[in-house]
Amino acid sequence: MLVLTRKIGESIIIGENIKITILDHKEGRIRIGIQAPPEMKVLRLEVYERICQENKEASQWDSKKLDALNSLLSKKKDQK
Amino acid sequence: MRSLQTRFGEVTYNTKKVVHFPEGLLGFERLRDFIVIPNKNDDVLFCFQSVEENHVAFLLINPALFFPDYRVPVSTVVKDKLGIGTNDPYFVLTTITFHQDETVTLNLLAPVIYTPKTDRAVQIVLEGSGYSTKTPLKTGEASP
Repeated sequence: MLVLTRKIGESIIIGENIKITILDHKEGRIRIGIQAPPEMKVLRLEVYERICQENKEASQWDSKKLDALNSLLSKKKDQK
Repeated sequence: MRSLQTRFGEVTYNTKKVVHFPEGLLGFERLRDFIVIPNKNDDVLFCFQSVEENHVAFLLINPALFFPDYRVPVSTVVKDKLGIGTNDPYFVLTTITFHQDETVTLNLLAPVIYTPKTDRAVQIVLEGSGYSTKTPLKTGEASP
């Protein structure tokens, strides 16, 4: 991992169009400003990992579960 | 036409009728093309089978049936990725996860936006919304 030391107000640039600025630090928390192209996903790592894990779990299921869900949905629609 | 061995048996599909995820789903970034397997409740529940990985399939549901107040802001950036304009139709869907203890959860934190206009879909993340990746379906409510 590349390690750089920065002061508050200083920035780093990644590639041509991602700029990260150190804004503030207080009580062990660091505020970071990120400028990146809008189509680029910027996420907290733990959120990204949680969704990856969820997608992995959601990709594995068997057809029996689908049958049960279908009958639940039919009931639910009848209620409406 | 091409055929694919899946958990539903052998499926034959038209290679021109695939749903394309230009960015994949999170953690599945390399899987871009899916086919929609016909299903009983085909107005609210969709089975997306990867054409690139036989063992990967997602069940996507319209969450409005269970969560009528769920709202998803779809930005112009997302619409650009879908290749649609401001007034074109799109659907908000969420993945379903089945758990060992028989509970069923929806991922309301990261919905999938699908448009029939271009047959493209994008998974977005509602960071800071307070929604969970594991929102339980209250199956009890559906019993008479």
